[in-house]
Amino acid sequence: MTDVAFLTLAEASELLRNKKLSPVEYARALIERIEKYDKSLNAFLRFTPELALADARRTEAEIGRGEWRGPLHGVPYGLKDIIDYEGLPTTAHSKILKDNVAKADAAVAQKLRAAGGVFMGKLSTHEFAIGGPSFDLPWPPARNPWNRDYFCGGSSSGSGAATAAGFLPVALGTDTGGSVRNPASMCGVVGIKPTYGLVSRRGVMPLAFSLDHVGPLTRTVRDNALVLELVAGHDRLDPGSAEDTPVTFTGELDRGVEGLRIGVIRHFYTRDMQADPEMTAGIDAAVMKLADLGAHVREIETAPLAEYIACNRVILTSEAFAVHENWMRERPQDYGALARERLMAGAFVRAADYVNATRLRRKLADAFHALFKNVDVVVTASSMDPACRIDDPAAVEYTYARQARAPFNVTGSPALSVPAGFSRNGLPLSIQLVGRPFGEALVYRVAHAYERAAGWTQRHPTLT
Amino acid sequence: MNEDDVTLDAVRSMAADIGMTRLSDEHLQQLLRATKAARARRNLVKVETLGPADEPAHVYRLKQEEK
Repeated sequence: MTDVAFLTLAEASELLRNKKLSPVEYARALIERIEKYDKSLNAFLRFTPELALADARRTEAEIGRGEWRGPLHGVPYGLKDIIDYEGLPTTAHSKILKDNVAKADAAVAQKLRAAGGVFMGKLSTHEFAIGGPSFDLPWPPARNPWNRDYFCGGSSSGSGAATAAGFLPVALGTDTGGSVRNPASMCGVVGIKPTYGLVSRRGVMPLAFSLDHVGPLTRTVRDNALVLELVAGHDRLDPGSAEDTPVTFTGELDRGVEGLRIGVIRHFYTRDMQADPEMTAGIDAAVMKLADLGAHVREIETAPLAEYIACNRVILTSEAFAVHENWMRERPQDYGALARERLMAGAFVRAADYVNATRLRRKLADAFHALFKNVDVVVTASSMDPACRIDDPAAVEYTYARQARAPFNVTGSPALSVPAGFSRNGLPLSIQLVGRPFGEALVYRVAHAYERAAGWTQRHPTLT
Repeated sequence: MNEDDVTLDAVRSMAADIGMTRLSDEHLQQLLRATKAARARRNLVKVETLGPADEPAHVYRLKQEEK
């Protein structure tokens, strides 16, 4: 068996379609790898090899009969454990929902099942997508495949760790203040927070209704666009779902960046916050690479990062507390300490403060969207720092807030984290690319051009 | 009292008012820290830039009934 661990989705799909790779052998190889290495990474909260093999056998028979369902057919994937998969518990990594068995698939799980994906299991998260990394929960936190002593980001921790580790080519995560893009940044993979309303949130445990997004994590930009094509689309049962959304994101991938206008929000990571010098150097080098490829690059300004983050946090904590208030009354002791404290921040927010944050949100979003009259894609930082040690709570708390992702939950814009090199101690660096609403195709096009020129996604961690 | 000078006794009382009566001393300390952090963040929301007609981001929008 050739090493299939780091096949991209596109490569695996081609092999599966041409019957040069068996879905069963592919699944078995990844199952073996997960059994060997996940004991030290904890990417999976609930690993389901028996379900995977059943899916793999079914898809093998379908492909054998010539019933090709598309790029995910026969390909393993995993779901962050706040996304419902019928018949399995959706725990949100919390004692509170330990026995919460899903009665139906989430909309995105339905779509991946229909696309012929091979379901491998539920992936670790921060408790309720907010409290982590935590060691006082029923399951341990996921760790960084590049160095298991380091934090892998969150809250879609297992999704980032599993894709980086070569356990899966595809995982779904969720993002309310940066929770897809943070693990993507920390683990050196590609993660998108799509436009608000592009991907259904039905069947996903809410953190904050007006800021929640579902998005894929993959090892390449092309794979990410392929998965987004599978999960995007209107869902009349999701009140936030947009109508008449785009359905293709891969069509323009290979068109390059020549002549495109790239706006760089440098003040986020040089003035509003001072990013780690290695991260700043990585972002600046990426911007230079885009200019070398023919893009017209210029610096642009938007509102200070702190305004966006405060707006995000007031809305997030208010909406999250509304979800958790009853459990806070009845079972406060069943939360981990981090989730409890972060959720408690919404307990006494005044109604006027919440409404004012949403009024400011509209102003910030309108002003940000107006920037796209003069630029095609925006580049800025995702994380301000490379990953810190997972056993250093002070460092985790410090780096948790040092990010430029939350602004785009406020604006609802598509925002993609892409690897941009490595620190001196071998941990991933990243950039963030942001587009106009429903402009994912153009964001992917720029990211793909950069990825091909830079080559960072060819590097993978060595697991021991 | 400056409302940012919230105390442990104050949050205990505020918590009880909304039915959060099962909090341990450790939980109340967490609630105190969380409340102070939330108020500090609230002060960063630039309300002075808002005019009376600036609408919230999620004003309810009705759809025509489906035929």
